[in-house]
Amino acid sequence: MAVMDQSAAAKWRWSLIDLVVIVFALIPVLWITSLSFKTPATITDGNFIPREWTLENYRNIFSTDQFVRALINSIGIGLISTLVAVVLGTMAAYAIARLDFPGKKLLIGISLLIAMFPQVSLVSPLFEIERSIGLFDTWPGLILPYITFGLPLAIYTLSAFFRQIPWDLEKAAKMDGATQGEAFRRVIAPLAAPGVFTTAILVFIFCWNDFLFAISLTSTERSRTVPAALSFFQGASQFEDPTGAISAAAVIITVPIILFVLFFQRRIVSGLTSGAVKG
Amino acid sequence: MTAETATKPTTHRARAEKKAKTQLSEGRKQERKLGWLLCAPAAIVMLAVTAYPIIYSVWLSFQRFDLKFPDQREFIGLGNYITVLSNQYWWTAFGVTMLITVVTVAVELVLGMALAWVMFKTLVGRGIVRTAALIPYGIVTVVAAFSWKYAWTPDTGYLAKLFADGAPLTERASSLAIIVLAEIWKTTPFMALLLMAGLALVPDDLLKAASMDGATGWQRFTKVMLPVMKPAILVALLFRTLDAFRVFDNIYVLTAGANNTSSVSMLAYNNLIRGLNLGIGSTMSVLIFIAVAIIAFIFVKLFGTAAPGSEEEGRR
Amino acid sequence: MAERSRESRRRRRGVAALAAVALLGPTAAACGGGDDGGVPEINVYYAPEENFQQVVDDCNQQAQGRYRLAYQVLPRGADEQRVQMVRRLAAEDDGMDVLGLDVTWTAEFASAKWIREWTGQQKSEASQGTLQQPLESASYEGKLYAAPKNTNTQLLWYRSDLVPNPPKTWDEMIKMSQDLKSQGKPYEIDTMGAQYEGLVVLYNNMVASGGGKMLSDDGGKVEFDQGAVDALGTLQKFASAGVTNPSFTNTQEDGARLQFQSGSGAFQLNYPFVWPALQEGAPDLKDKVKWARYPGIDAGTPSKVTIGGYNLAVSSYSKHPAEAYEAALCLRSPEHQLFSAVNDGVPPTIESVYDDPKMDEAYPFKADILAQVKDGANRPITPAYQNLSTVLSATLSPPADIQPEQDAKELRGSIQDALESKGVLP
Repeated sequence: MAVMDQSAAAKWRWSLIDLVVIVFALIPVLWITSLSFKTPATITDGNFIPREWTLENYRNIFSTDQFVRALINSIGIGLISTLVAVVLGTMAAYAIARLDFPGKKLLIGISLLIAMFPQVSLVSPLFEIERSIGLFDTWPGLILPYITFGLPLAIYTLSAFFRQIPWDLEKAAKMDGATQGEAFRRVIAPLAAPGVFTTAILVFIFCWNDFLFAISLTSTERSRTVPAALSFFQGASQFEDPTGAISAAAVIITVPIILFVLFFQRRIVSGLTSGAVKG
Repeated sequence: MTAETATKPTTHRARAEKKAKTQLSEGRKQERKLGWLLCAPAAIVMLAVTAYPIIYSVWLSFQRFDLKFPDQREFIGLGNYITVLSNQYWWTAFGVTMLITVVTVAVELVLGMALAWVMFKTLVGRGIVRTAALIPYGIVTVVAAFSWKYAWTPDTGYLAKLFADGAPLTERASSLAIIVLAEIWKTTPFMALLLMAGLALVPDDLLKAASMDGATGWQRFTKVMLPVMKPAILVALLFRTLDAFRVFDNIYVLTAGANNTSSVSMLAYNNLIRGLNLGIGSTMSVLIFIAVAIIAFIFVKLFGTAAPGSEEEGRR
Repeated sequence: MAERSRESRRRRRGVAALAAVALLGPTAAACGGGDDGGVPEINVYYAPEENFQQVVDDCNQQAQGRYRLAYQVLPRGADEQRVQMVRRLAAEDDGMDVLGLDVTWTAEFASAKWIREWTGQQKSEASQGTLQQPLESASYEGKLYAAPKNTNTQLLWYRSDLVPNPPKTWDEMIKMSQDLKSQGKPYEIDTMGAQYEGLVVLYNNMVASGGGKMLSDDGGKVEFDQGAVDALGTLQKFASAGVTNPSFTNTQEDGARLQFQSGSGAFQLNYPFVWPALQEGAPDLKDKVKWARYPGIDAGTPSKVTIGGYNLAVSSYSKHPAEAYEAALCLRSPEHQLFSAVNDGVPPTIESVYDDPKMDEAYPFKADILAQVKDGANRPITPAYQNLSTVLSATLSPPADIQPEQDAKELRGSIQDALESKGVLP
């Protein structure tokens, strides 16, 4: 009876803390959502909850296929870049964490260097290269830079996690009679999962939200992603900001992120606690 | 892959040892080859895309080159560096950037840790908390910045009402505070995610052993969890600091750099893109890079063996 | 009415998008100039204007197959438009033919040799009937580099229920505002004061109205005469008189409009876009708002106000310059300027268009606009204008802290450096 009270009390405590976290994280997001439902006349009345509701903004952004194209571009380019960056990063991180070879420190140093150099200077030369080899305004034209700038983060994150894995478990499993494949799948993979999925989320969000490369390396709807497309939204005149439309677009493009994170967040933690590590 | 030292009967000990040695160097060679093979794709992609742009940028920094006056281009060695480093705008922006970086990273480390704890340990609504906590990081920065600007402007937003009738975005101190707040709100989830994954990796048996030894919750945290999490903390701190130093979007939207709230990135952008002064702009980029490299170096030294690729731990 | 215009706007946008896709179809935008079976494709890079696609379509019809126009939309913000074009021009990209340039970019693009000169027949066609000041904004070193398409200028908007007679000078306006304030009525003078180009425009209005000069006539040296120094004083006085909105130093065009629409303002200094927005956004105010000429410095001298707008230039790297010139002339022809003026709210640069009765409904204030544009002032014409603007706006912000004599001395040095591309931009 006492035990049940304790865990009930614990549940209440955690619920309260959860609520605080959710409120702080989401109030500004709710503000954007509220802006997206306001009519043009009331959009600047400063009220948190709209006095007049409208779906006009949402209808507007879907009235042309400009936004839908941008969404498709963002999703496609984001997923491909994330996939490739995670794969390449995993391979490199495995080598860094487990193997010894000359040039290891150099590779780590160079990838950090690439992460550190201000991207604003790199955009123009990159543009010239892409233009001359015909990659300007194409999907690969964005995918390649995204992979490049996502790799340092991927490599560092993954090697940090791979170091923590007790690799001896693999040997132990094999000695217990498992094959190499089984040992990898049942023992190593679940331990590597937290790192891999964390990296995937971070790289995806980077690709999804990047603006600089998107605006500089694209020029038409063929490859323009959503953050860049927001700059092309028209207001009613040259000086009016299409706040309602931009807010609506922001709400919509957050949905894939929510789905992506919801899907992956369990796998980050499920690794160790799934019970694969026994005895 | 593992160079298994063969266990041979001792009668052939000498031969066995010799064989073991050659096998070792064979193994070593294989290991090296495998290492290079695994790293090659990543290295090739990274270098192919950035080698020319970075070298070109550095080369430009040694020239006087303004796109509007293409005929006046000339090589001037360190002239640009002297110009920038003796300019008061640069140092003001540098100070602002350092301030924003130090404050946001320090706060985010603490908040991120707390958030990571909640995300990891909560008994109720785990999925919801984790997802909700990550949403700020997932929102397009300029849109979030725009919504903050609206919120803090009197008449158009709900937060400005907290300031009586002042307009917080028009004063230096308050606008810096708002920028810092916007940065913290946006990127704490980044830290929290990395730290949470780090928390997930702390072996349960270590913790159980510690508590059986009588360690308190706090001691378990500082003596068991933190050391194990060091690599994750390093990655989080390092990358967050690098990004914080290059803050741009929030300042651009909230104040456009008014009241001396520009960051070094904004300065570089203004000179490079507005002024079309490739020489000065590239110089600033190189200087920003050097500053960031110094910070990274300090971190790596501080964290010592927690840096990737630095020691034996984790191998075999 | 608003609903219908919004509906038709959406429909037109849908048609526009389809048309754009159809026009772009065979073009490989990546390599630009993907001419389809011998018909040259002319790419027009222009700011987003809702109904501009119809102008493009119309010009395609008039081209009768000699070339095909494609409207490539640029980003919303002027700075971003410039960045997009500069990046490609610096790389000598041949995929751009007709460029929509803000009036302040002509000198810069011409000096960098990115745009072609207009000569002979084309020059006379572009200049004929065009107002003088916009024409000057399209010129550099005595040569014409673009065809003016539309112009823009700020007016004084005021609450006729609070202000029976509009003020003619800044001093008068400030005094009226202070009087209203002491009576507890709405009193603000809402205008743009953030650290950006708009602040330079505000300052330029004061300089030009006072007969001052910032640069020498050839644009090569800084002059900063007494008129310019006095304007510093006027700006400082305006900002510290307690008549501005609390967010004044962080306000851009749309912000000023919203401040006035919220009812706290008695005066507004802004572009004509605020008029249709007022009709829709603040219907309770629209009958109480009137317009007048922008205030000047002296009671006897009418104000000289900065003109904005867009000019159409031909890229130096275009593969079809002859067709590009023709296309540009078509896009800014009198009939198209009338169309754009009525449908997109952009005032024309050809004087005869103002006489057309169709202008009356959309521009009840067209007489004031025309008078101001005729008298108008360009911002200093120099290739280093962006530098100048950046330096100036940094010094002028926040306007309440200006110290005229001291800042003038400082500006003489920093503007000269900016003109020569020396030093660091703030």
